[in-house]
Amino acid sequence: MSIAILLLTLTLGAYFIAVIEGWAVHGRFSLTRPALSAVALFGRESLLARTPDRLFFEAAPVLLLVAGLLAVAVIPLAPGLIIADLATGALFLNAALAYVLVALIMAGWGPNGGYAMIGGWRFLGQFIAYAMLIVMPITAVAMRAESLSTTMIVTSQADLWNVFYQPLGFVLFVLAAMGLAWLPPLDLPNAPGDLAGGVEAEYTGVRLAVLRLARMVIILALAGAIVTFYLGGWLGPWLPGWAWSVIKMLVVTTVMLTTGRLVPRVREADLLAAGWKLGIPLALANIFLVGVIALVVDI
Amino acid sequence: MIVELSVTLSIGAGLFAVGLYGALSQTNLVMILMGVELILAAALVNLVAFWRYLHPDAMSGQMFVLIVMTVMAVEMAVGFGIAIARFRSRGSVEMEEARELKG
Amino acid sequence: MTGSVWELFFLVFFGLAAIWFGIVVFRTHSMVRSALALLFSQTAIGAMFMVMQAEFLGVLQIMMMATEMSVMALFMVMFMMDPGGMGAMEMSHQKRLSLRAGGVGLLAALAVSWLADWGPAAASIPDASRQVELLGIELLGRSMFIFESAGLTILTSMIAATMVAIAPRKPGGGT
Repeated sequence: MSIAILLLTLTLGAYFIAVIEGWAVHGRFSLTRPALSAVALFGRESLLARTPDRLFFEAAPVLLLVAGLLAVAVIPLAPGLIIADLATGALFLNAALAYVLVALIMAGWGPNGGYAMIGGWRFLGQFIAYAMLIVMPITAVAMRAESLSTTMIVTSQADLWNVFYQPLGFVLFVLAAMGLAWLPPLDLPNAPGDLAGGVEAEYTGVRLAVLRLARMVIILALAGAIVTFYLGGWLGPWLPGWAWSVIKMLVVTTVMLTTGRLVPRVREADLLAAGWKLGIPLALANIFLVGVIALVVDI
Repeated sequence: MIVELSVTLSIGAGLFAVGLYGALSQTNLVMILMGVELILAAALVNLVAFWRYLHPDAMSGQMFVLIVMTVMAVEMAVGFGIAIARFRSRGSVEMEEARELKG
Repeated sequence: MTGSVWELFFLVFFGLAAIWFGIVVFRTHSMVRSALALLFSQTAIGAMFMVMQAEFLGVLQIMMMATEMSVMALFMVMFMMDPGGMGAMEMSHQKRLSLRAGGVGLLAALAVSWLADWGPAAASIPDASRQVELLGIELLGRSMFIFESAGLTILTSMIAATMVAIAPRKPGGGT
């Protein structure tokens, strides 16, 4: 029963994320836009490239969706309301999200087209920039919780949320999460205007609907991860736990989707330099600081 | 006679054989590296099987697996560095053409 | 016989998947398919680790290999003559020798694994969260020296690989 409630909540969450993204892109808030565009996509003709690598072309949206669903499976909405409470939940989230990279490489190589291929390899380049910035803040969070399980990480924030305890890690993780979901300003793979749609360019019809759904699920998983690791999960007064989780996830998603569009797209070389020369030393300093504070202060 | 242990070791043996075939038969440096990755993965499978079925209380088994995983990553990194240098100086990484030191 | 039938079934399933993907690595003509087949072979091996209840190792293997093999796919496209596999090129040499070597290795390992007496089966396994705890204590306790020296070795080899790969500054070629 709880699994059904969980899946329903996650479906509605993904739908609202699509609504918010439509609001951010088009400027007008419309509750029915995702449903109408999904119906339109299902009805449209599926155009195929001329000599695609069929295996990769078909498998990429499905793998993207599977990666997103596996990542969502370890996010706790309330104590006990979690699909799979693994003992290494935080690391499993990272492992599932690494398959976003594999899926986008497949989507880039599959259609045998220039724009898609450039988009796919650009995503690999930007992933190398922030791969460490996803894992190292998780390390600092797990240090405080003394466990890798996502429920333990949330319960460890009962006194003080991690966003106040580890602000540096929070900022790095949010930026890396925006890059992993290829949100602007880090939307190098599909670069609207630069690559004419990039990896999404050759997908039409049902496959494009699956690709967009998968992207919403990934954004949901990343918002859930940010809320679980840094914003205290289900903790909060008056309302029940799952309501707090949902509210926090929607707020985080709105911030991620709307503020990024104000900044111009980051160039790949600048992103790599910033990620490795600035980001990794900051992440290591974050781990060091958290270690020192955890030994000295009793939180 | 632990059946799962022998079955898992056989799977490790199969992976090792495929990796050895690849490492010996390919001409390109990148493909040889992939063969070596398969051999190391076979060793990892054997290590975890021995840990799980014979000594699950000794965490040094898992430590060994972590060290081997790290060695896999580092060896790939150094191998690709060498491949880049060779490609830059000669234009290909085919091992058949690497005859400069051959007696 | 320890464990259940399901464990044996999943071990055989993921193991055969890993071996099949490993064979695809060397049989296919497309280079990116080769790299991604190796990726899925390593993922099957990571799944085997999770079936054998080494949860941390399984998740770590799956995570690391996804990134590593994707980088390998990029290098394949950079260095191979025919990354799409559209032409029909012969990419191997000394085929019979390597087949014989693989066969001999396979038979030797199979003989050892089925004919040796491995001793009594283990009684109980610590559960996953306890394993992570014990692994952490082992890492920072008894094996700290090993990991520190491994860390220094990794740093040195990273710097070395970067130095080898950086293009020479002089226009006529490097030293």
